[in-house]
Amino acid sequence: MLTRRFVFSGLIYLLFFAIQIMFVDQIHFSLGGFSIFLIFVLCWAALSAPEIGAVAGFAGGVLLDLDPSSAGPFGQWMLVLAIAGYGIAFLRFGDDSLRNSPLSLMILVAFGVIFSLGAYLLLSLLLGDDLGSAAQLARTILGNGLWTLAVAPFILPIVSRFHRIVFETRELL
Amino acid sequence: MRYGGDNRSRLLLVILIVTSLFLITLDLRGVKVVSSLRNGSVNAMAPFQRVASDIFSPVGNFFSDIAHLGRTRSQIKDLEEQNDLLRSALIENKSVLAEIKQLKSILDLSGKAGYKVVNAKVISQGSSATYSQTIMIDVGKNRKITRNMTVICGQGLVGVVKEVFASSALVMLESDPAFRVGARIAGSNEIGIISGQGTDKAILQLLDSQSTVKVGNILLARGSEAGKPFVPGVPIGTVTSVLISSDSVSQLAEVRYFTDLHSLGVVAVVIKGANSDPRDILVPRAPKPTPTVTVFVTPSPIATPTPTKSSK
Repeated sequence: MLTRRFVFSGLIYLLFFAIQIMFVDQIHFSLGGFSIFLIFVLCWAALSAPEIGAVAGFAGGVLLDLDPSSAGPFGQWMLVLAIAGYGIAFLRFGDDSLRNSPLSLMILVAFGVIFSLGAYLLLSLLLGDDLGSAAQLARTILGNGLWTLAVAPFILPIVSRFHRIVFETRELL
Repeated sequence: MRYGGDNRSRLLLVILIVTSLFLITLDLRGVKVVSSLRNGSVNAMAPFQRVASDIFSPVGNFFSDIAHLGRTRSQIKDLEEQNDLLRSALIENKSVLAEIKQLKSILDLSGKAGYKVVNAKVISQGSSATYSQTIMIDVGKNRKITRNMTVICGQGLVGVVKEVFASSALVMLESDPAFRVGARIAGSNEIGIISGQGTDKAILQLLDSQSTVKVGNILLARGSEAGKPFVPGVPIGTVTSVLISSDSVSQLAEVRYFTDLHSLGVVAVVIKGANSDPRDILVPRAPKPTPTVTVFVTPSPIATPTPTKSSK
């Protein structure tokens, strides 16, 4: 059962990662665009229990760290997304009002994206990376949040369906 | 009610954080295993990215272009305005260059003859409603211009100052039907009077009945007393045809002006003529014929195949 979950999860992760680098990254969106993979990982984590959310975030971080466009050291995304995945799962899993509302989930994911990008930025600053102007960074982070709000309603039902298949839960958004 | 977040999941989170920090440290210390992992992923993804890039490159900017539609429009408007400005600047430059060319030719002409001139810009053409052929120039009393001064351009005579105002002057063109100028055939002392006809051509009437004129003769201004209204030696035109008239005592000829009176931009008013008659010094040089290359092709006989008998 565990192996099946790992394999299926891995395949779905790879699918979204491929969509990210092959399609989304090819299109120039205004306001910095969005990361479909990041949205997927956080959605996946939000639908899971906290420990699964942390692992889901960590696994997503592995793939993001392998992304050629990732400038930070290997492990930076893993650290950020493990915390973000745990946090988002903890928030949603433990609260009935959030658990049963798709809208709340979307807002939570959007905040998760903003938090992840902010945390990654903070870590990069601590590691001494050159990141550009503050206005540009703020624009990218807020733009990603807004794009997430716009895109999440389309992604969330798909992720929810995949999650239900893998974990055989009854929950479907 | 809040659930979740037991010790097991916290422990897992701590393990994951420590693992991440460990990997970050390894990467920052330059451990090759980590960098080779990333290189491997880059190599694996590159072909797919290339294919996707080929597919999406035509629509890659579609979304950002939609978002920047207003900005793009204003950018197009700005560029169009800039284009208009540049175009008008270009036209202005062309006109300035043409004026410089005209000015240079005027200076060449006046310098060669030793005239003292005041350059002027043509500011308007005379109205056709007045039936006279005039131009208005931008110099007048302010530049000590007086009536009956000769007006020239690089090609030769333009006309004579008819009226002078404070900062402008009216010039009667040589093509005006009321215009008369004494002329001399270059290279000889035969003289006549050229009368404007209101067209590009004038009529020359020789004064001496024994004199003859030929097609191609060049006519120069004979000059008036004290150089007013005409200074001597200014090229006027060339004889294009000799007219045969039974009722005229002297010979008549049709003359084409050297000056293109329709494209005058810069002219010069001769305020003082040469100390001595320049005679034929201002006669325009005949244009040098440009050599033409002629290629002769001699047809050569084409060898035709002759049938040969094959021996078996």
